[in-house]
Amino acid sequence: MSANFYYGIEVFLNGMMAGVLYSLVALGFVLIFKASGIFNYAQGVMALFAALTLVGFQNGQIPFSHLINAVFGTNIHHFGWHMPAILAIIFTLMVMILFAYLVEKYVLKHLVNQEPIILFMATIGLAYFMEGFGDLMWGADIKKLDVGIPQGGNVWLEENTAFLGGPDFYGFYLDNLDMWATVCAGLLVVSLVLFSQYTKTGRALRAVADDHQAALSVGISLRAIWVIVWSIAGFVALVAGIMWGSKSGVQFSLSLIELKALPVLMLGGFTSIPGAIVGGLIIGVGEKMFEFLIGVPFLGGATENWFAYMLALLFLVFRPQGLFGEKIIERV
Amino acid sequence: MTDTTTVGALDTMPRLLARNAKAYANTPAYREKEYGIWQSWTWGQTSEEIHALALGFLILGVKPGDHIAIIGRNRPYFYWAMVAAQSVGAVPVPLYRDAVAEEMAYVLDHCSARFVIAEDQEQVDKMADVMGDLETLEGVVFLDPSGMRKYDKSALFDYRELQQKGRDQEATLQAELDKRQATQGPDTTCVMLYTSGTTGRPKGVVLSNYNIIETSKGTCEFDHLVAGDSVLAYMPMAWIGDFIFSIGQAYWSGFCVGCPESPETMQADLAEVGPTYFFAPPRYFEGLLTSVQIRMEDAGRFKRWLFNTVMNHAKVIGPKLLDGKSVGLLDRMKYWLGGLLITGPLKNTLGLSRVRVGYTAGEAIGPELFDFYRSLGINLKQLYGQTEASVFITQQPDGEVRADTVGTPSPGVELRIDDSGEVFYRSPGAFVKYYKNPKSTKDTKDKDGWVATGDAGFIEKDNGHLRIIDRAKDVGKLKDGAMFAPKFVENKLKFFTSVLETVVFGNGKDTCVAFINIDLTAVGNWAERNNIAYSSYQELAAHPQVYEMIQANVEEVNASVAQDEMLSGCQIARFLILHKELDADDGELTRTQKVRRNIIAEKYDDLIGALYDGTTSIFTETEVTYEDGRKGSISATLEIRDAVTFARKKVAA
Amino acid sequence: MQDSYVTADGRTIGATVMEMKNITLRFGGVTAIKDISFDIREGEVRAIIGPNGAGKSSMLNVINGFYHPQEGEVWFHGKRRHAMKPHQIAKQGIARTFQNIALFKGMSTLDNIMTGRLTHMKSGLFSQTMWWGGAQAEEVANREIVEKVIHFLEIQAIRKTPVGRLPYGFQKRVELGRALAAEPKLLLLDEPMAGMNVEEKEDMSRFILDVNDEFGTTIVLIEHDMGVVMDIADRVVVMDYGKKIGDGTPDEVRNNQDVIDAYLGVAHD
Repeated sequence: MSANFYYGIEVFLNGMMAGVLYSLVALGFVLIFKASGIFNYAQGVMALFAALTLVGFQNGQIPFSHLINAVFGTNIHHFGWHMPAILAIIFTLMVMILFAYLVEKYVLKHLVNQEPIILFMATIGLAYFMEGFGDLMWGADIKKLDVGIPQGGNVWLEENTAFLGGPDFYGFYLDNLDMWATVCAGLLVVSLVLFSQYTKTGRALRAVADDHQAALSVGISLRAIWVIVWSIAGFVALVAGIMWGSKSGVQFSLSLIELKALPVLMLGGFTSIPGAIVGGLIIGVGEKMFEFLIGVPFLGGATENWFAYMLALLFLVFRPQGLFGEKIIERV
Repeated sequence: MTDTTTVGALDTMPRLLARNAKAYANTPAYREKEYGIWQSWTWGQTSEEIHALALGFLILGVKPGDHIAIIGRNRPYFYWAMVAAQSVGAVPVPLYRDAVAEEMAYVLDHCSARFVIAEDQEQVDKMADVMGDLETLEGVVFLDPSGMRKYDKSALFDYRELQQKGRDQEATLQAELDKRQATQGPDTTCVMLYTSGTTGRPKGVVLSNYNIIETSKGTCEFDHLVAGDSVLAYMPMAWIGDFIFSIGQAYWSGFCVGCPESPETMQADLAEVGPTYFFAPPRYFEGLLTSVQIRMEDAGRFKRWLFNTVMNHAKVIGPKLLDGKSVGLLDRMKYWLGGLLITGPLKNTLGLSRVRVGYTAGEAIGPELFDFYRSLGINLKQLYGQTEASVFITQQPDGEVRADTVGTPSPGVELRIDDSGEVFYRSPGAFVKYYKNPKSTKDTKDKDGWVATGDAGFIEKDNGHLRIIDRAKDVGKLKDGAMFAPKFVENKLKFFTSVLETVVFGNGKDTCVAFINIDLTAVGNWAERNNIAYSSYQELAAHPQVYEMIQANVEEVNASVAQDEMLSGCQIARFLILHKELDADDGELTRTQKVRRNIIAEKYDDLIGALYDGTTSIFTETEVTYEDGRKGSISATLEIRDAVTFARKKVAA
Repeated sequence: MQDSYVTADGRTIGATVMEMKNITLRFGGVTAIKDISFDIREGEVRAIIGPNGAGKSSMLNVINGFYHPQEGEVWFHGKRRHAMKPHQIAKQGIARTFQNIALFKGMSTLDNIMTGRLTHMKSGLFSQTMWWGGAQAEEVANREIVEKVIHFLEIQAIRKTPVGRLPYGFQKRVELGRALAAEPKLLLLDEPMAGMNVEEKEDMSRFILDVNDEFGTTIVLIEHDMGVVMDIADRVVVMDYGKKIGDGTPDEVRNNQDVIDAYLGVAHD
């Protein structure tokens, strides 16, 4: 086998790992959409906000320090301690749960039974509010996020696979961070599925996703469920924020990862958890392989930016309900 | 008359139970799914349960020679009740649980049953209806108490309470139980089963311990059934087959009997149990195949292609592997791969993946159908039998399986064909007598022990396999003297998935005509795919396009019948599709789903007349019985069609 | 308080469980219920019948606590009941079914009936997440109760089938199962036999009677079709145009002139 074949495999594996990260973001959308019928425009910003908060806790940043300094003329920035990553993650998670609670209390509660488009608008507002609020709270500068996940290529793997492809092949180059992200995302998805299938709250979540009225009649509190769903979505956003933030720093552009999730949703369907996962993998692998096989040799590269949308568009034409979405049958 | 030395000390069911309780003490004997979980009882536990119930029977005052009727679906408790009855010297008489109260009353009266073991409220209610008319019936033991809290309990006994009383009084009653068991032997009656009979009142077939045990022994050896095997008991308990499989053979070889959670869950339970030994009537296998075909027609193009490719290959290789013939390495690999992708998962869903020995019987089975299962690697074989023979007359040995024969004589069976073509047998399983019916006994079984089967058939010269043509009494002659065997034609028609049931008439006439029942599942699915709207069986059956399809089937059959030297006169000249499904509740089928030719001919006299007088449509009104016993009537105008017939093959002089 | 008595078929009817006192319910300018009073006694099968649009479903929603009447009082277990939030209603021991089946169509029969147990399940979110002792034992114990319900309603064969794929009659049965799983003290059935054929109706009647008989559950049912109700109800309230026009045993009601008029004489469907 030629070295190119093995590089092809390497591209494939990298695509898989990128795809897992796309799935992770898409998952946040799907969870909220299923439970409350809301397309949550703020999902990307939630990831940014979670990452900012995490960095803030880790570095002992004082929240709103700019504001405080401007108003009181002080010059404080740090508490002066450095928090261990695990503790910071737990605190951030608590903030995300608090956030979910506040969203329910001050936004969703007042919008029960409104048109989906109104709810969508509300999440747009929420997104811009959070973006500004995050800046105000933690500052707008680019931050480095390090929770201890090893970064850079995995040397061991590279050295031990070099023999495969002859003299022109130097072994598989896979990023440690990507591999970690894949494992974490996998664990997250499995535990979410188990939770929703085998616990009473999971069953209540599915019940609410299925039929609001029926859920009320068996004594499920919609508001409690919404807080739980938004908390889980916040947790997913946190994981996505950690992975993407570790990779390319915590900055505004982090919120744009949701643009990567959109084609995944089109492909996988807005209501399907397996759809989000498989869709993410297809897009990840598809765009990397397309770039490697066709983009670079024939089109001058940079196909990654639009390939996912092309694929999603094609898909919409042939299977509008998505990969695993329920088939819409209109009986005449 | 019977030879007692062959079975030694294991000559009664209670003695077999005692052997199993020792030899297989910790091996499962019964399994049942209840409340969503599989419960199981070892042979040791089974023996204890039966013992407790037998003592309970003594408390009730059951005497040796009493008949105890058993009415329930396949549940371990009722199998235990049978052996418990045997233990106290009584004769178990299992009844069809879906029979109406009057049918049961006839049997209970005929055998003077003193006690009935009933499943639940539904059966207890039936007994309450008829109890006043039955002088001998003293009490009903029920298993499921729900809904009966307020019932007058003076003649009702709770199964489990009865067992508990038995356990409590073991010390005082054990001696009596021992004494009764000591007097039993091979000639003691083991069970009495009422044959549903296509005509007349049901007859009670008396089978002795020798009949059942000797038959079970021979056939278990024939198919190498051992303690590790398992079956799923789902056929009616009143049917001899269920008694032989779930008690006779199970007790002889010590294998495990699984009971479904409810009749409707049978298919799912089958997949969970994964029996190694399985019996089903051809109807069942047809139904399964139809559902597989429907699913494949609905599947995507790739899946369909893969299925067809794998099945086409398997059709060649599967039967060869089953018969132990040599197969090339590449073909073996392909077959294995097909098993991995298609046939394995398919077998698993069908619940047949572990089946080592599978039997079907009762009706002819189509070659395609037979090939399908054999190509999956399921060792599906045919047997020929009847209640009077303790099931087994002939069966197919491994490696000699064909669609058109029913096999060679079972162990210990002798066969004879008389001049009229009727099949006679003499065997260890041949029944003792019909209960209280010496005339019928004499008509059926002669003094040398030969039993008339009532079927016409012949033995193939080169391989000794028996082939059955039809019921002997149904075989007749057309006006021109040509042989008329309706079942021969009906079977060919029924091999089409669109045809569920058919009745062919023609005895003493110039030509043959047919009633047809379409298969609602298969034709309904076809209609859906072709955008044909229908709201009922009746409407679908009358649809012109359905008529077109059936006509094509009839003509294909005619072409095939024309090839047969003896029976080419049996081509169908005219036919109609019936406006209702033939139904056991209306008396048109037996409880085992066989057509009752004479009753149908009488009931639809007007339709037969129209088939022969050349009219093309006829209005008719038919009485129907609903499940709850209420009656109603349906009417329809039926179309009658002519079918193309083919030149008869000249009979060689 | 009334004395308890035993019916002809051997069931014990106890004291008053719920009392409606002069209930009036309005939607905007429309009056759905006009000054209605009646009681429900423990262990009885109480039917509310009336032509379409008589206000039966509104009455059920008042009993259930979903609607809060503008005038009148609802007394439950000797206490006056005040307005509640929808999800709190199920926790008071009242379970119900709906006229237009409200099941979770994408979930299996088993899962649907398990949701009926939600109000009885107490384990915390954390314990569930870890699938820890408490949560697991609770899950198993509740599954056992649900399996008994499945057995009782003879729906073992559809245990794993998504409810959306079931025929109508079975969906009705699953919905009854979900209500039963809550082990309610008071079971409200909103037209349980609507849209069923004769056989299905008979099955449903049998289940309703068995529930009442076996578990002593008090049942209030609304029906539009008089025939079945007269066979299974102990007492019947008849409504017409939001008013009560009759109340009593089936025989009493059958001979009530106003009732005969509403059903036969003056048609207004």
